Amino acid sequence: MKVRIRRFDGQKEWWQDYEVDAKPSDTVLDILNRIREKHDHTLAFRQSCQMGSCGSCGMVINGLPALACQTRIGELKTESIRLEPLYNYKVIKDLVVDLTDFVNKHRSVKPWMIRKNPQELEEAPMEFKVTPDQNLTFVQFDYCIMCGVCLAACPTVAIDPLFLGPQALGQAYRYIADPRDEGFEERIEVLDDSHGVWRCHFAGACSYVCPKGVDPAKAIQYLKKEVLKYRLLHKKKASVKPAELIQKAPPANAPKPPPFDFKIEGGE
Amino acid sequence: MPSKYSLLKESWNMILMYALALIMIFVLTFHLLLVSPITGKTFEQVLNYSYVLHNLTYYRIVFGLLLYAAVIHGLNGLRVVLIEWLHVKRFQWIINIIIVILMAVLLAVGTYTLIAI
Amino acid sequence: MEKEKEEKRYKSGLLRSLWPYNFNVERYTYALHRITGVILILYLIAHVFEIYHLALGPAAWQQTMAFLGSLGIWEKIGLWIIAGSALYHGANGLRLILNEAFGMLLGKPVLPEYPYTPTSLSRNQKIAIYTILVIVVALWIWAGIYLLWGLGII
Repeated sequence: MKVRIRRFDGQKEWWQDYEVDAKPSDTVLDILNRIREKHDHTLAFRQSCQMGSCGSCGMVINGLPALACQTRIGELKTESIRLEPLYNYKVIKDLVVDLTDFVNKHRSVKPWMIRKNPQELEEAPMEFKVTPDQNLTFVQFDYCIMCGVCLAACPTVAIDPLFLGPQALGQAYRYIADPRDEGFEERIEVLDDSHGVWRCHFAGACSYVCPKGVDPAKAIQYLKKEVLKYRLLHKKKASVKPAELIQKAPPANAPKPPPFDFKIEGGE
Repeated sequence: MPSKYSLLKESWNMILMYALALIMIFVLTFHLLLVSPITGKTFEQVLNYSYVLHNLTYYRIVFGLLLYAAVIHGLNGLRVVLIEWLHVKRFQWIINIIIVILMAVLLAVGTYTLIAI
Repeated sequence: MEKEKEEKRYKSGLLRSLWPYNFNVERYTYALHRITGVILILYLIAHVFEIYHLALGPAAWQQTMAFLGSLGIWEKIGLWIIAGSALYHGANGLRLILNEAFGMLLGKPVLPEYPYTPTSLSRNQKIAIYTILVIVVALWIWAGIYLLWGLGII
């Protein structure tokens, strides 16, 4: 298996070829570790969990941004693999890119729960819960692992480095759609900016490459609808009042649900 | 600083684009049908001076609407392309000025044409 | 310097953003929407000045027509390209208005399950895109027959 990697040492860039043994069930990350152990220990790349959960190993594999630990050689269906660092980021070394701008853009949309009443924690009788239906309106966008692969695919990020990017905008919608959040007005100044949500033109490439199925393109179009509703009708996505979020506790004599609802074969 | 009711928000810009786009779907279709083979004329006949003059004078209001909608929608779109391409925040106002000047020139020339014929 | 920092971003820039190689069909529609939009605005600027000559009298109009006629076949090919651009830009723009302002054709938020097909890019969206492409290409071929072959048939 021929592997061609884009190298960068701080001054010059070049393509370097390696010849490695590979089975179809190996992942690209396995190949990279093999290269680093046996062929070239100067190769730099990020990895951590090796199972698609941390988002460290984002890179461009055969022209498409993806996670190296989630891409199997057999799925690529080519004789050789071409690895490059993520597009639209500054390269530090080889396949390692600078995620500072990415993190700053995420931070600028305030990706945390904003509540108005500081006395709430003392006054609430129990925790605020959401019903399964309410949860479904935003849980998909909560699966984001911040790998940065979507910004590598986005054409607007390619032209415009000031654009917030699909990850930040998707996370902004995750909080705006959450009925427990009261921070829509705090976030709208950043979102309704000349490099905010309106610079997305729905190319959909971010959703196409997202390794966790977060579908940021959908979140951004829903976000645009919320922003338009707010500007035209002054209606914001209603954050539910605390009293409605507190679900009634079940009565004391209600039958307790069984500890699990599946049968273990050979058990009992 | 920008307030909740400021009309300089990018959303108002996009609302304008959407509204003008919907208007243009109808008005531009009308214009294209006037120069299409549905009228029974050939390509050279459709460019005849008296035919074009007749259309512009008879449907003056429709063509006025088309002019304003198309110029504002088009130059706004060009502004979006330029803002993304030349994204240095300090110089955004230069792009806005150029677009506004271009818009004023085109609308002036077009309005003069519609009034003078 | 801001410019220096941007130049060092790997494989970014205007041309890369319009190069949808390997990506989904929606990214191709975005690139084409942008290119047709720029073609149309450049044509509009020229067109407003062309129609202005109508107000200057028949002689000025004849001069303009003679200039365009001197371009020969390129006048008709240019108008054909612009007709196609207008058809595509309008139809795709309508789909984008439905997506962005009304949230249609996107699908509901769901719980992600492997293989994580995004609902915003799935069946309904693809049906809309391919329907638009079929209608636009059909109308464009009709416009081509009218312009390029000079056949004034309906």
